[in-house]
Amino acid sequence: MRTFFAEAALLESLREIPARVGWALRIKILPALLDLTFLAYVWAATNATYSYFRFGFLSFSLLPWWWMVIVVVAVGAMWSAWDQTLGMKVVNRELSGETDFASRFLYAVLWPFFPLALLTAPFDPKARTPGELLAELTLTEVRLITYRPWYRTLTGWLALIAILSTLGAAVGVTKVEPGRLVTGFEKTIKFWRAIFSPRWDLLGLGLKLLGETVFMAIMATAFAVPIAVLLSFLAARNLMRGPLGRLIYVILRMIGSFTRSVDAVIWAIIFAVWVGTGSFAGVLALFVHSIVDLMKLYAEQIEAIDPGPVEAITATGANHLQVLRYAVIPQIINPFLSFTLYRWDINVRMATVVGMVGGGGIGFRLIQYLRSWAFPEATVLTILIILMVWALDWLSARLRAKLA
Amino acid sequence: MKFLRVRLLSFILDLCLWAYLLYGGFTLHYLNTRWRPWRPEEKFVAPELSPLGWALVVLGILEVVLFTRAFGPSLGQRIFGVRLVGEGGGKPSFSQRWLYFFASHLALFLLWFDPERPFYERVSRLRLAPLPEPGTEGPGPRWYFTTHGLSAFLFLGLTLALGWRLTEIDLRSFVGKASKSLRIWRGLINPDFRYLFVPDPRIKLSFIDGLVQSLYMALLATIAGTAVAFPLSFLGARNIAARGPIGWLVYSLTRGFFNVFRAVESTYWAAIFAIWVGFGPFAGSMALFIHTIAALGKLFSEQVEHIDPGPVEAVTATGANLLQVVRYAVVPQVIPQFLAFTIYRWDINLRMATVVALVGGGGIGRLIFEYKDDLQWQLVGGVIILFMITVWIMDYVSGWVRERIV
Amino acid sequence: MPHLVVENLTKVYERGKIRALFNVSFSVEKGEFLVLIGLSGSGKSTLLRCINRLVEPTSGRIFLNGVELTKLSPRAMRKVRRKIGMVFQQFNLVKRATVLQNVLAGRLGYNSTLSTLLGRFPKEDLRRAQECLERVGLLDKMYVRADQLSGGQQQRVGIARALMQEPELLLADEPVSALDPATSHSVMQYIEQINKDGVTVIASLHFLSLARRYGQRIIALKAGEIVFDGLPEAIDDRKFKEIYGEEAEEVEVR
Repeated sequence: MRTFFAEAALLESLREIPARVGWALRIKILPALLDLTFLAYVWAATNATYSYFRFGFLSFSLLPWWWMVIVVVAVGAMWSAWDQTLGMKVVNRELSGETDFASRFLYAVLWPFFPLALLTAPFDPKARTPGELLAELTLTEVRLITYRPWYRTLTGWLALIAILSTLGAAVGVTKVEPGRLVTGFEKTIKFWRAIFSPRWDLLGLGLKLLGETVFMAIMATAFAVPIAVLLSFLAARNLMRGPLGRLIYVILRMIGSFTRSVDAVIWAIIFAVWVGTGSFAGVLALFVHSIVDLMKLYAEQIEAIDPGPVEAITATGANHLQVLRYAVIPQIINPFLSFTLYRWDINVRMATVVGMVGGGGIGFRLIQYLRSWAFPEATVLTILIILMVWALDWLSARLRAKLA
Repeated sequence: MKFLRVRLLSFILDLCLWAYLLYGGFTLHYLNTRWRPWRPEEKFVAPELSPLGWALVVLGILEVVLFTRAFGPSLGQRIFGVRLVGEGGGKPSFSQRWLYFFASHLALFLLWFDPERPFYERVSRLRLAPLPEPGTEGPGPRWYFTTHGLSAFLFLGLTLALGWRLTEIDLRSFVGKASKSLRIWRGLINPDFRYLFVPDPRIKLSFIDGLVQSLYMALLATIAGTAVAFPLSFLGARNIAARGPIGWLVYSLTRGFFNVFRAVESTYWAAIFAIWVGFGPFAGSMALFIHTIAALGKLFSEQVEHIDPGPVEAVTATGANLLQVVRYAVVPQVIPQFLAFTIYRWDINLRMATVVALVGGGGIGRLIFEYKDDLQWQLVGGVIILFMITVWIMDYVSGWVRERIV
Repeated sequence: MPHLVVENLTKVYERGKIRALFNVSFSVEKGEFLVLIGLSGSGKSTLLRCINRLVEPTSGRIFLNGVELTKLSPRAMRKVRRKIGMVFQQFNLVKRATVLQNVLAGRLGYNSTLSTLLGRFPKEDLRRAQECLERVGLLDKMYVRADQLSGGQQQRVGIARALMQEPELLLADEPVSALDPATSHSVMQYIEQINKDGVTVIASLHFLSLARRYGQRIIALKAGEIVFDGLPEAIDDRKFKEIYGEEAEEVEVR
């Protein structure tokens, strides 16, 4: 009997191993890696700043790479031994135990061996790192928040250095020269006059292009809505039960999040090559983007419905489609309309940007004028866009207030 | 007065609807018969009509509008939620509706005597009443048999048909030219990372350089924009700034600035700054900076207007002045939202940084557009994939951070 | 000389022309505990807010220590407000800030704008904040965010904030109506303790039983007018019906 229990306990602990390793990864390894990444970034940014302001060229690593490794690891070790680091803050841990200088120092010396926690994890439920084991300090959850002003903490100083060096590097990388705002000003005098003398005879053309842009958004939304509605039922977790349903759900959601991460501008570039520059390309770009965006919004709305009516209608013996028609749709019709309106609003705004990269409409014409510095013409189109944005703001706010 | 407003506005709405239907119909006809592709430059273009003809067209529209208003709720009446009913609230009879139709021709001359109950309504013994609550009356006719349903249907149908022609939707070219798009897809599938670290000798920029440039352009614009938008947002918040006439002036000016500058495309600014400070990332980040001020300023000040007024009252009661009230009662309430908006803005700025490159803004967008113009699809594919991965990571991280702080 | 004198105070809200207070006159002696009662909407909150001019009175005069408050410039009024503490029904703490920051806000009027904008307070104020928190029994919650506290604890933070001002006069606007009965008494006892230290207290309360237990004198308002002014014992059943309406019945808060 005793051996049986021992075996069971062994099996139990074996089964726990993946969970333990995962925990060690999440609590010990990833925060430390985050700290190292942060410090490496600070190193690169300070180097860039220094080289830019001292020597006038950009270099993200003035010293050989192993210098960086040594400095980053050393600072990381001191940081984690004497303060709550960024990574520790993220997982809400702090060092506790006898925190005298000697043990902190020992911890700092042993800190670089933190990946060994992955090796101890299978045997030790706490997955202690060498530093924790030998310096007898442990990472425990933060219980009591003690207050120290930022300038008394290492983290505060590191954050300050990070912010300053980021700004410095940004100035270098983007070649900021505020002086040019002054010296270049005389070049602009010519076109300030051009900007403030719009060519009003282009107003008719501008209005037509504006109309075209609005129609681009309408067409993209109108075609995206039916498809998105159909897909949204398939992408709603509470409707897709069973293994096949779950598979469809997962695949749709994955495709959705991938497609959405591709910017509408990129889609417009692709479609402008496919079907040629013009508003059709813009419609297609907005269309693709609207489908996945609306699908997500709709599906989330379906997932948030009150399950009570669904239960009640199912209890009357209705089939799937009847449940959909009488329990789900009445609950979602208004939010769906509201989302559609919202998406149309976004589409009109995006239509101008999409137009610029070959999607036609007012954006395409505007960018042509701007590239040839035809400001009197561009100003007319810009004023029209401003008016359109205002009208849209007003209209969609009113309509959505009515729907809500 | 309320009913007069409803009558007037719904009438204007009806007028716009039918004018749009007529004009749209003309345009559609022309697009179908005369100009195959839509060319906005061409003079429109209504049919050439004599003045008499035009008068007849206008009259025709007016007649249609009056007719739809007399027979069943027109779209304008439906949107404002009113309909015609008899004296006792019953259904109007056929003859009453005809009487109403004819009498309303005189509306312009006789409306002003009694706005509450105009002449034509009294003659036909009808009145305008709010629509009944849904469910209080039995089922009416199917929506597509009602006047407003029919008009809405016409409106939608014409809009879609017109949009189809205007935006030149051409499914044949979509399918037929699919082979043309293959080269992009091929470029995206086996991208060329030749210049990932090594600068392209022609553009003198490697992919990573471009990406870092774009990231920092967005970052700088966001940080500097936030620094300016933060103090301005309090001036643009009604509950803080709008005290006394000077306060109202400051508030209105700030809000006006936000509203105008937010609506101006950042490419417009980029073009200006490209001349002003020369081509390159500095011009791009200046353009994004100006746009960020206005966009963030508006979001910030709306947030300030939505704070809990309790702490403001309490801190005021301790004898603090306005600045102290803002610092101790307003700022702590809005900081998390401000941070979330700022991070969100960084995301947007990174995307806009690519578009700004079109007019000389620099950054990764420049690589995309240069390679695209040279038809080097594998290089375009490489840049796009790098950019997509970055945007994806940024989206993920910023979503996670925003969730944590709000 | 009475500590606070209110003469013919009238307040009409512009929007809707609602008359919140009409011809209210009374005076309060130094160290008195005055309780305002009345139905909701009877003008208690408006009266309290008129005293420190969070709400501008339409007409009438208010004197504190013989100084006419209604005539003061905004700057001078801020100086006076430092000596008038206020406690609110909804506590009005900054929820996201720590308890300490909320309490320190009570010293804003005494410190220069620049140093407070940078978040710096004199050591003296920090010590005082600890004392005030100790007095309301919340010293261990000093660095806790205000929204993590229970309702009663939040109100005690509100009291500590008022104490930081070293007030001569404490205005309490329904300090316990958002709390349960047991907590109500503990909060009222803190206010009573402050009163015993010589601070004049004007508190509006919803329940008559609480008013009887803590008030030295009661003023009842009905539709913006004073319908009763006297000792708690003088409110009999008939008076009660007059103040609260025929339907009302007295409820005991234990």
